[in-house]
Amino acid sequence: MPDGALPVLDVKGLKTVFRTRGGEVHAVNSVSFHLQPGELLGVVGESGSGKSVTMMSLIGLLPSPPADVREGQVLLGGMDLLRATPDQLRAVRGARIGFVFQDPMTSLNPVFNVGNQIMEPLRKHMGMDRKAARQRALELLELVGIPDAARRLDDFPHQFSGGMRQRVMIAIALACNPEVLIADEPTTALDVTIQAQILELVKELRQKLGMAIVWITHDLGVIAGIADRVMVMYGGQVVEQAPVRELFANPQHPYTRALLKTIPKVSGEREGRLQVIEGQPPILSAAPTACPFRARCAHAFDRCHRENPQRRAIGAGRVGYGHDVACHWTPEVTHA
Amino acid sequence: MLDASPPRKKLVEVKNLKMYFPIHTGLLRRHTGDVKAVDDISFDIYEGETLGLVGESGCGKSTAGRALIRLYELTSGSVTIDGVDIATLSAEQLRLKRPTMQMVFQDPQASLNPRMTVSAIIGEPLDEHTTLTKAEKLARIYELMDAVGLNRNFANRYPHAFSGGQRQRIGIARALALNPKFIVCDEPIAALDVSIQAQVVNLLEDLQEKFGLTYLFISHDLSMVRHIADRVAVMYLGQIMELSARDALYADPLHPYAKALLSAVPEPDPAKAARARIILQGDVPSPANPPKGCNFCTRCPQVIPVCREVQPALTEVAPGRFVACHLVQPTALTAGPTGGTEAKEHNQQGATR
Repeated sequence: MPDGALPVLDVKGLKTVFRTRGGEVHAVNSVSFHLQPGELLGVVGESGSGKSVTMMSLIGLLPSPPADVREGQVLLGGMDLLRATPDQLRAVRGARIGFVFQDPMTSLNPVFNVGNQIMEPLRKHMGMDRKAARQRALELLELVGIPDAARRLDDFPHQFSGGMRQRVMIAIALACNPEVLIADEPTTALDVTIQAQILELVKELRQKLGMAIVWITHDLGVIAGIADRVMVMYGGQVVEQAPVRELFANPQHPYTRALLKTIPKVSGEREGRLQVIEGQPPILSAAPTACPFRARCAHAFDRCHRENPQRRAIGAGRVGYGHDVACHWTPEVTHA
Repeated sequence: MLDASPPRKKLVEVKNLKMYFPIHTGLLRRHTGDVKAVDDISFDIYEGETLGLVGESGCGKSTAGRALIRLYELTSGSVTIDGVDIATLSAEQLRLKRPTMQMVFQDPQASLNPRMTVSAIIGEPLDEHTTLTKAEKLARIYELMDAVGLNRNFANRYPHAFSGGQRQRIGIARALALNPKFIVCDEPIAALDVSIQAQVVNLLEDLQEKFGLTYLFISHDLSMVRHIADRVAVMYLGQIMELSARDALYADPLHPYAKALLSAVPEPDPAKAARARIILQGDVPSPANPPKGCNFCTRCPQVIPVCREVQPALTEVAPGRFVACHLVQPTALTAGPTGGTEAKEHNQQGATR
């Protein structure tokens, strides 16, 4: 991605803390990223790495309390969403930023037919009347590849299969032509053959509509297939960020390296014993004063226990634009 | 873990296993149909091997695994484990047989009693099936905790104090308690994070080597099955579509469904992401009302008229490769020197050797 283009979404130093009875949980720590027009940014990490919380913090989807978005800036075309009024946020959600959640079963309302659920954002945000909204809903269902769309418009969510429900969710998210689509593990609950269908659909829609997409997943295989750029999260922080081919060919952070080695492959040479990352993910009970990966890292040295590494660029370029990593151990220049 | 080793002993023989769940409708709750979760499958598992059972959700793989150790009453068919047909055993005979066959469940959260300590959970099978003294039992519990890599000091803690991966280790220790020969692993890693999955899979492999265990490894994760299994059975809508040695299957799947399934797995390599994918249309039909003919005929990209009429039998089309498809015939393949022995027998693979 060229440096020049103005990002559609620019997140700077986002910090989210949950206040619970057991103390604070620092779920997101100084996360910064940006999204270029038409780009697909993949966000990978294990459960608890803060990837979903980051995205939900952006548009105020976390209930507060317990969540507290403490610091940072989320710029959507010049407006800071963290300082926006509830009304302003409401005008953004569903209109300028679309959301697709993991479980299509629980994110659709079972007592409304899908037509009404697709029409809702159209009528709220675009001020369409029933007739126009219904027409547009029909187009959207056809766009996401639901056969016999005119009849299915009056069906209820339970009458759709998992893959079809996820298509309906995508139709809702796309209804108002959002600038940004945030997809939070949209294919995790689906079977592989259905997942392949949805991935094809998203590739096709990107070409047709050209919106920017944030795709959250823990599946590196999915990321390899669709992302332009990848952000790896661990312990509430961004540990590495790079263009997709660069990340898979030349991973820098010990976590990314280990992660790529722990997953077996379906083709090519069959690996011997699987490499493991020993230990458990960290408990984020305090603001980090050291590297979150230190306890599981094969290369950790004393500095890793004293100081939380900052993201720094690998090779040429700025942090966030080329390849960057947050690690003390990674050599300064690894490119030949 | 050899692919084609000399005569091996069959530990588990499954013949024409059917598992139907009745559907009752109407005011009188009349029996109006069946969900054919597992519809006539046959296969063998050899001693010391890992048979992978893969398929999409709802294909009947978990039901098959549970039926195999008779957690359900079978609709019909036989399951012979270590020389005994467990399908016909009485309740007491079955109870005495239980120590040889155990299970590791998918969800370590749901399969461990939250009000029992770890030592009580691991010790429960010992209470039921052995006459060990208290001290012997505790020694055995510690031994098992060591074997699965749990800290002995945590024996008196409750499941909630453990992470997902550790909980799965508790479940594995419980399954090992009675020195079983055969363990059904029903999606043992599906609920775990990627970095923890490898830990549990390595543990299962180590234990297999150490105790000479035989596994049925049920999973929807085709990459992990390729790693752990010696042979792999692919299920679709209650039936086995293909059963082949692991390397043969992954290198060259023969059944159209196996082909589509393998091509749908996203590869963690952007360079390979552009490879041709077979995208199946539509969804899996309901097992309560499977299509006539081949179960896969509604989505098969290579469907021919006969597929909608006649159900293909699982046939040995090449040495050690069993496929249920009209398009894959033994004659169409170079079946090698054994090409003459036509495996006509319906669903009797293994026996045709």
